[in-house]
Amino acid sequence: MSMGKPSGPPRRRFSRRKGCRFCGDKSIKIDYKEIRTLRNFISERGKIVPRRISGNCAIHQRKLTESIKRARHMALVPYTSGHAQD
Amino acid sequence: MRTYETMFIVNPEIVGDDHAALLEKFQNVLKQQGAEILKVEDWGTRKMAYPIRKLSRGNYILFFFRAGSEVIAEFERRMRLDDAILRFQTIVHEKEPEGLVAAEEKEVPAAADTPTAEETDEESAADTVDAE
Repeated sequence: MSMGKPSGPPRRRFSRRKGCRFCGDKSIKIDYKEIRTLRNFISERGKIVPRRISGNCAIHQRKLTESIKRARHMALVPYTSGHAQD
Repeated sequence: MRTYETMFIVNPEIVGDDHAALLEKFQNVLKQQGAEILKVEDWGTRKMAYPIRKLSRGNYILFFFRAGSEVIAEFERRMRLDDAILRFQTIVHEKEPEGLVAAEEKEVPAAADTPTAEETDEESAADTVDAE
């Protein structure tokens, strides 16, 4: 498999393997209502940031993904960047 | 008895007395079934991330309550019938989040974290997931 793809969007987030944000700081809750926290893990297009970029551990990444999907369902966070702007 | 949290979005054009009446109605639905309402949060009208039924703003309401599991089906059925409710979502908490009125210590047998998120859209949500 040749990885000949162009290097897409720059790695703006924690590309160093510095450890999970939630493991380090236990007080941050992963909840679909904590929109500010969730926004850190959503790209500009509205996609969920993968774990290798966000640096989260598996457990928290899964919880985060579930919370983001719940928040999307309740329109707290967009599904995509191309929603109709009124 | 489990602790549930339901968030729903109400049409923002329903204001004042109608709004209060609507909340009362749903609280009664729960009470009649023997649920104990712990907290009601009203986030007010806020802009939604995407339009639902062509509306860009919605009234967000949160109910925290304790009930048996059979209550949920009825509660959601009633919400589905009401046209003023745009969307709802019910989550189960495996342990009671702090900050709520915990009347008594309820021992929760280690119930698996299965959130009963009965997600039903009034219209099929345009789930535009970008295919990588």
